[in-house]
Amino acid sequence: MSVKYIPVQWNNNKYYYDAFMLAGVVGFLWFFLHVSPEVLSHERPINPQVHNARAFGACAFLMLSIILAIGPLARLDRRFMALLYNRRHFGVMTACVAMTHAGYILNWYWAFSSSNKYEALLFSNTSFGQFAGFPFEIFGIVALICLLVLAATSHDFWLRFLGAPLWKRVHYLIYIAYISVVAHVSLGILQDQQNHVFTAIFLVSAIVVAGLHVLAVLHERKAGDPAGAVNTEGWVTVCKPDDIVEARARIAVLPNGDRVAVFRLEGKLSAISNACSHQNGPLGEGKVIRCLVTCPWHGYQYRLTDGQSPAPFTEKIPTYRLAIQDGVIMVDPDANPPGTYVEPVEIPS
Amino acid sequence: MKTDTTPFFVGYFKVPKKLRKFLLSAGILLVACLTVFGLLIGSTQDDPGNGAFRFDYGRQTVTGVIENLPYPLLHVTEGNDRIKAGETLMLAAGGKMGVMARTSGFSGQQIVASGVLLERGDLNMLQLRGGRQGLRMAEGDGTEMIWEPPVSEPLGRWRIAGEICDGKCLAGAMRPGRGLAHKACANLCLIGDIPPVFVSSQPIEGTEYLMVVDKDGGPLPKAAYDYVAQFISLEGEIERHGDILVLKMDADTIEVLP
Ligand code: FES
Repeated sequence: MSVKYIPVQWNNNKYYYDAFMLAGVVGFLWFFLHVSPEVLSHERPINPQVHNARAFGACAFLMLSIILAIGPLARLDRRFMALLYNRRHFGVMTACVAMTHAGYILNWYWAFSSSNKYEALLFSNTSFGQFAGFPFEIFGIVALICLLVLAATSHDFWLRFLGAPLWKRVHYLIYIAYISVVAHVSLGILQDQQNHVFTAIFLVSAIVVAGLHVLAVLHERKAGDPAGAVNTEGWVTVCKPDDIVEARARIAVLPNGDRVAVFRLEGKLSAISNACSHQNGPLGEGKVIRCLVTCPWHGYQYRLTDGQSPAPFTEKIPTYRLAIQDGVIMVDPDANPPGTYVEPVEIPS
Repeated sequence: MKTDTTPFFVGYFKVPKKLRKFLLSAGILLVACLTVFGLLIGSTQDDPGNGAFRFDYGRQTVTGVIENLPYPLLHVTEGNDRIKAGETLMLAAGGKMGVMARTSGFSGQQIVASGVLLERGDLNMLQLRGGRQGLRMAEGDGTEMIWEPPVSEPLGRWRIAGEICDGKCLAGAMRPGRGLAHKACANLCLIGDIPPVFVSSQPIEGTEYLMVVDKDGGPLPKAAYDYVAQFISLEGEIERHGDILVLKMDADTIEVLP
């Protein structure tokens, strides 16, 4: 919700978030690079470049797994929603760690030859037709490109420039990145290990990420937003007024697939689009704070009556007409243009 | 009317009390897990082997005779404290480059070679210095420089199991310097004419390292590149040249082993 370009709108929660994230990354790298060599009883040490590359690579994989776990966790338990906030910092940090991994590898394995290292990266192994010995580096390159695109477009400037739907679609690249990383690791280091501790951690992480996504889908199916029944005039049933908690909403799915959020505030009802204009966050899972609907993802705010953000902000979302018929809330599925005023409907006592 | 008790987080407001403990625990768990994983993964890395550049020996300068197979071998005729006369060394240049082009004119000649030694068990390789400082004709009147290569001793046809590596990384230029994660690097070294070495899973005549050439005595056949760093078995004639075994590999007999 900015009216001018600001690189990062810092606040205390972002500082805490980043502090924990950095502490985790530094903890991982420090223990991997500086504590574990004391434990290893190798006659000669692993080359520092390879040791560093492994540390940063494993760290990037775990960070990516954590990032991907936050989404489904937030769907399964609302308290995790707080971790969605500022997740982009986590993503940018992951891209930096992955880039460091790639730098160590590239400047080690593909250096020291008479060929250009970027060309050598592509021609040195062309055994594409086999499983063992497959040029797994290619998957790492794909993942890194995805992560860099995600990091570069993570700022709200890009969100506005591309528009929320396209921006969201671009950011599904995170899944391509993760699948590529899984392939990169499976065909690479996992084929080349005697000790299988990393293999176990890798498999458990990947299974947890996939499992959480499946659980979240099942949960959505069971407890997801109901499709409202349509009456003869084409209006859609939502629920009874008393089903709605004060300052909160109930969401209904409209025949065209859009979602409407009906809020209750001080004995009156208002209906607005469920999709936040920022990143399509679920406004209906938000809360009315000081008369403003507040998005649960990043806190964008809208007036209930006209779907507009308070000045100086300029965001707008569609509103809906609603009525109470026979004690049931009905919504006109034809959305009003964003920012249209609709008088709140009083709940009959 | 129902009232709302679920804590609601807004990034730019103070965290609700009810959520504080939860988020703090999540943060601590994150840091603890990452730290423990760092230690666990870091402390279970495989041993990269004992190969190394022996900079600690200092620069090694020896006299010997070049045998181009086509990868060059140096049969030491006048050694030093570290490298004794009668030993045989593989040769490489700095980086991922072999010295085939540099030694091609010196076949059977007595030369002085200087560089740093790479050592892994009984695998010895000399990384030559650049230009004449690394490789030059030995001084003399010329008559003593005509040399008969030691008669190569044929050891028959074998089927052996193991891995094709690049001899330089294997000998200690990189640790680890073998295995599938290192395959692209090994290929690049081999493309640069670094001598290939077969690491046999069973010692053959007392050694597990054999220099590899094609069955007709040419350089590593193209067909072998797909199998570099894989656990394979293959057939070939084995010959002893000085104290090094040379495998004339038959690429048609390669089998990938599980
Ligand atoms: S989606 Fe970001 S504030 Fe709503």
